Amino acid sequence: MFKSCWKPLALSILALSLLSACGEKNTQNSSASNTTASGAAVSGPTVSVNTARGEMNVPENPSKVVVFDMATLDDLQALKVPVTGAPKKVLVPYLQQTLETVNNTGTLFEPDMEALNALKPQLIIIAGRTAPKYDELAALAPTMDMTDSGQDLIGDGMKMLDTYGKLFKKEAEAKKLHDDIQNLLAETQQVAKGKGTGLILMVNAGKLSAFGPSSRFGWIHTQVGVPAADTNIPASPHGQSVSFEYVQKTNPDWIFVIDRTAAIGEEGKTAQAVLNNDLVRQSKAWKENHIVYLSSASYLAAGGVQQMKTDLTNIKAAFTH
Amino acid sequence: MFRSSQINAINILLLPLLLIISISIGAAAFHWSDVFSNSDTRSLLIYSRLPRSLAIILTGATLAVAGMVLQIVLRNRFLEPNMVGATQSAALGILLVSIWFPQATQLAKMSCASIVALLGMTLFLFLFRRLPPHRQMMIPLIGIIYGSIIEALVNFIGVETNTLQLLAVWFAGDFSAVLAGRYELLWLTGLMALVIYFLADRLTIAGLGQNISTSLGINYAQMMWISLITVAMITAIVVVTVGQIPFIGLVVPNIVSRLAGDRLRQNLPSVALMGANALLVCDIIGRIIDPPYEIPVSLIFGIVGTMIFLYLLFRKPTVHAT
Repeated sequence: MFKSCWKPLALSILALSLLSACGEKNTQNSSASNTTASGAAVSGPTVSVNTARGEMNVPENPSKVVVFDMATLDDLQALKVPVTGAPKKVLVPYLQQTLETVNNTGTLFEPDMEALNALKPQLIIIAGRTAPKYDELAALAPTMDMTDSGQDLIGDGMKMLDTYGKLFKKEAEAKKLHDDIQNLLAETQQVAKGKGTGLILMVNAGKLSAFGPSSRFGWIHTQVGVPAADTNIPASPHGQSVSFEYVQKTNPDWIFVIDRTAAIGEEGKTAQAVLNNDLVRQSKAWKENHIVYLSSASYLAAGGVQQMKTDLTNIKAAFTH
Repeated sequence: MFRSSQINAINILLLPLLLIISISIGAAAFHWSDVFSNSDTRSLLIYSRLPRSLAIILTGATLAVAGMVLQIVLRNRFLEPNMVGATQSAALGILLVSIWFPQATQLAKMSCASIVALLGMTLFLFLFRRLPPHRQMMIPLIGIIYGSIIEALVNFIGVETNTLQLLAVWFAGDFSAVLAGRYELLWLTGLMALVIYFLADRLTIAGLGQNISTSLGINYAQMMWISLITVAMITAIVVVTVGQIPFIGLVVPNIVSRLAGDRLRQNLPSVALMGANALLVCDIIGRIIDPPYEIPVSLIFGIVGTMIFLYLLFRKPTVHAT
């Protein structure tokens, strides 16, 4: 009795696992055969660009570009460079307009190889989240890995902007945007000078993580020049788990908040409710109303033109207020 | 063989000691001598330290009890809320309510999580009934697969709704966010543990199976539902307030039963006390390794718990005393 019920279940699990194994093999085969069919060789005029994997030659001003990086998409939108494909399901409000016009190519973590095959892009641009898929993508078309160093967001962001200006023959536009951000950064540095220390906190479903100068949000300390209230925070991609007592003890003059709950509510609202407690209320930052909410783009599209402008403008406004 | 009274004596001695250590450490400065003279220290104690320590005690005690109830009622030594899909279903419940009603209160989230956890466990029971009862390892194995399937579903929804980061919080438990006013739901789990204590003997009989229960005058279905509901509620409340803490419901009841045999009513206080103490120790470790930052307690307990679990697995089974 038990056995008769058990067997089909075991068999179906076995069958499922076999099926999924087959599926994997198939995709590998198809991408391998494509290397020989389409080839990643570059023909026509090329331009030399700096990528995370060193200097490389890519076709100049390619017309069919697929982008797996929100900061790049941000830059190309600002430079008015048309994009053929991108992962569409990303919540960066100011990119929605561009995303509506492109072909969907999967997600940042899982590029849709079939869709890419059909699109036959002349250039694929990727960064951090898609970087592990470099080999698969490079077999399909010339692929630029634009992962930033993680140490100098604004510097890297501007270099990236210059690269795209050169690559897409939009040098003048890129230079103008570059100068705008440079000026904005200088103004922000000016107003932030001597206004006290800062602490970068990520709020996620009621829990806090702290980020230090060497983290991906460290540009607030290193570029804008707000001294860190705690200089010992080690670098870690997801920050250091801290308690509310830590905020009280660190007692920063400014708190920069990344609201990770924003995806399911109004940006900043949930984080505000979490921070509103007896311990955080004792900090100088809360008493002076020195809480600056960073845009959700600061982790989704870090280093893009619009992201840098938005966050610098917000920070500048907070310091001048 | 120890008597449960001996185990209790050790644990009762340990508990206040650990409680004092737990209250003494933390990011902010705290000295016991200032408690009566300094109002800031006093408010730190009442607002942050005491709630955190109480939350740990409640969570540790009730998760261990929940694991024990599952083990007795389903007659399998290797079960706990993680392995019957309860934790994963609870996370599914909170995720759904968070997406649809982001402004929902903790109580509403907890209710939703409890209901989904109950549904998830009921579904597992249907699977469970079809498994050969003498294959002890088969059941937790299927349970792990079942839990992973639900977790995969939760992750899929997370990817689709851009809420993956929230899930990380519920799948990894820690007490860093506990403050007065943000943990009180956990007292409900204490209530559940009391209910279990009063029904302990009847639950033990229910664990002997439907036929024996009925002939002994116990309503089997009713007992089954009560145990499932209490386990679902304990799991859901813990997941909502602190997140998932694996292994505690598995390891603690096993240690107690190895030391003192299988007697639900007598062992229940030992299990609760040992669960509380074990979690207190792990949370203290998590706070002193890298101050003022914290290592999530689920990570510490995961490491410690895995080692104990492997030890239990590889040790020759002892003859169960009654």
